[in-house]
Amino acid sequence: MDALKLRHVSKSFGSNNVLKDVNLDIEAGTLHSIVGENGAGKSTLLNIIHGVYSDYNGEVDLFGNTVHFKSPFEAIKAGISKVHQEIQIAPDLTVGENIALGSEGAYVRGGLLDRKKLYARTDELLDRLGCKFRSNARAGSLTVGDIHMVAIAKSLYHDAKVISFDEPTAAMSDREAEILFSVIKDLLAAGITILYVSHRLDEVITLSDKISVLRDGEVMGTWDRGHIDKQTMIERMVGRELNTVLQEIDIATSDQPVVLKVQGLTGDRFRDISFEVRKGEVLGFSGLVGAGRTEVAEAIFGAQPYHSGTIEVNGKPVTIRSPRDAMAHGIALVPEDRKRHGFVRNLDNKMNMYLPLFEKRKAHTVNKSKITENFAAMQEALNIQPNDPNYMTVQLSGGNQQKIILGKWLATSADILIFDEPTKGIDVGAKAEIYLIIGKLVEAGKAVIVISSELPEVLGLAHRIVVMHEGRKVTELVNDHLEEKTILHYAMGANQ
Amino acid sequence: MTAIRQLLQRREATTAVALLLVVIVFSILNPLYLSGGNLVDIIDQATINGLLAIGITFVIITGGIDLSVGATMAIVIVVVGQLLTTGGMNPVAAALCGIVLGILLGLVNGVLVAKLGLQPFIATLATMSAFRGVAYIITGGYPVLDMPPAFRAMLDGDLFGVIPIAILILLAFAVVGHFILTKSRTGVYIFAIGGNEESTRLSGVDIFRNKAIAYALCGVGAALAGMVLLARLGTGEPAAGQGYELNAIAAAAIGGTSLAGGKGSIVGTLLGALLLSALRVGLVVQGVDSFYQFIATGAIIAFAAYFEIIRDRINVKA
Repeated sequence: MDALKLRHVSKSFGSNNVLKDVNLDIEAGTLHSIVGENGAGKSTLLNIIHGVYSDYNGEVDLFGNTVHFKSPFEAIKAGISKVHQEIQIAPDLTVGENIALGSEGAYVRGGLLDRKKLYARTDELLDRLGCKFRSNARAGSLTVGDIHMVAIAKSLYHDAKVISFDEPTAAMSDREAEILFSVIKDLLAAGITILYVSHRLDEVITLSDKISVLRDGEVMGTWDRGHIDKQTMIERMVGRELNTVLQEIDIATSDQPVVLKVQGLTGDRFRDISFEVRKGEVLGFSGLVGAGRTEVAEAIFGAQPYHSGTIEVNGKPVTIRSPRDAMAHGIALVPEDRKRHGFVRNLDNKMNMYLPLFEKRKAHTVNKSKITENFAAMQEALNIQPNDPNYMTVQLSGGNQQKIILGKWLATSADILIFDEPTKGIDVGAKAEIYLIIGKLVEAGKAVIVISSELPEVLGLAHRIVVMHEGRKVTELVNDHLEEKTILHYAMGANQ
Repeated sequence: MTAIRQLLQRREATTAVALLLVVIVFSILNPLYLSGGNLVDIIDQATINGLLAIGITFVIITGGIDLSVGATMAIVIVVVGQLLTTGGMNPVAAALCGIVLGILLGLVNGVLVAKLGLQPFIATLATMSAFRGVAYIITGGYPVLDMPPAFRAMLDGDLFGVIPIAILILLAFAVVGHFILTKSRTGVYIFAIGGNEESTRLSGVDIFRNKAIAYALCGVGAALAGMVLLARLGTGEPAAGQGYELNAIAAAAIGGTSLAGGKGSIVGTLLGALLLSALRVGLVVQGVDSFYQFIATGAIIAFAAYFEIIRDRINVKA
């Protein structure tokens, strides 16, 4: 009996096909893992199963009946719930209230919540999960592991038949993870089907009855317990062909002067990071989501503080406390989250591009013709569609928004450019254009840092690659016939 | 034609049309409404609220709010009043002192909001209360009496015997405000901060400095409004300006300034203030009980807000 059956499921965002004809059979009462690189489509797959995305092609069967959930709540009512990557709880409500939130129906008498009865029921669930805390505890006081237990209890409260876990152990201590694993085994013993998504391949191998590998939105295969090892899994996860746009890189840049030197940089979410970038060089940053790469970039750009360590620009130590400081030293950051950090929604193209330039050019008034001129000058290198300085940036496609943000920093003539996931959510054509722009920057002698979760991108662009794992630099590799699996090994936390 | 169409597509055009409708309806009901004296009355009554509203527009565009403008007015009123009477200061010098005081009080809000990171509503709720207290302490609770005629003539007289000087002050502040908002870098920053503060910070903009400027400009508006009121009444009450902040916010909102930040204009705010004033004067001319004016004002605010939602919906589809 299959708990879940997916037939020809596809999903695209604009021209970006995230899932392509996915077929999966999840047997009832088993633990089925789905592994894949960042961006392989795992989250999208879960979102379809759980009713977050109702606009998809193909068929989803739940215990033999075709379902098409319009909302996550519909899915929960049908007995399929999800324990989120970052679980959201109402911190000021009690554990019991959180578990029942939105479905207190049976415990409401005359408009009042009968907490005693509710807590009796939720305490029962907590006992079943072996939790030491009680239903009357404030949810905000719980640890990450406990919060996961609350989420599982919530699934049980809704009488879930299928529970999926999205990176449950990412923020847990080893002990908390052990407790979670034993709870998962109990759930399986009680006949509940579990869908498990994790980057931690070792735990996937130990826990799973079946493992499916997803790559670029396609299922690369499904293996039974004991029929696949970590090495094969990694090979199946990567192994894409290099993007043809990416050229052969001449890695002989070691005679060029060091432009940016970072030593022992330590912040809230990264420790002891050291590296150098030379003139005309691309330094790649690889690692899993959450490895601390973005945080390092933001610290160098002054967007968030660092506690210790030194930053040298052109051999001189500098103090960077704000983006203004960083810009004064010729550092620019093209951020990962374009909407939140890249541009301003109520400004048009020319203004977004000019925003950092007012200060630099000591312009105190708005000179429309100069601002439009700046747009036109940048447009030559960028090919923004539509080519309209008065168009609102927020209405552009992702690729064109990225070009506006690129233009804004190119115009400041920064010498050190940090790109954080420069092609995230961007279609293939614009991707190629952005690679070419980065190539030109390097030719012009800029020092470039590219943070990317896409291995072919880092391998195609970078001269050297720093690999980070859980806030630390694991290694630094010269990109000389490097293979994706080598990087992935380090990114997964392996030391050799 | 395209120029006219573009003009009509602007948000200010709708406020202008609404203002026109109000004027037409009331003049049909009572032709006296359109008399020259009455029209001047409408504008004259809009001056104090207009000055406050222009100032508050800067703050609202940054995504903030200033509830302390009424209390700021009161401090300026009693301080300038005392400088003029017990201090015997020259009216021009006293007025300049009033403006500087307005800037300083605005900066207090700016520091609370942009340096200490208090929510604008809470920060200015606190200063609204504190400033009011200061105004009472300065005079010991008593009004400041007998403003010198020279000061009253300077701010409440008529130029060439026809144009009220207060209206000219309003226009001057509106022109300067419009220039700052649309033609200066600070104006771009104020809009950018309201649209996306984090992106703006990451573009190297000094957020504190620019927010502080917005709150300081708001303080200037409150100071000007206070001094016009002082000249008009001839006495300075520490209780003056209570509740004025709400009318100022209403004028800005009716004029298309978004309380979410990032959107607004001085012209719109000015029209909003005029609309409120035209409505009030019209109801008075009709002999409607003043209690109903509150209801009418409320209805206009709610309608303007709802209109904005419909407009956004249409724009998204277009």
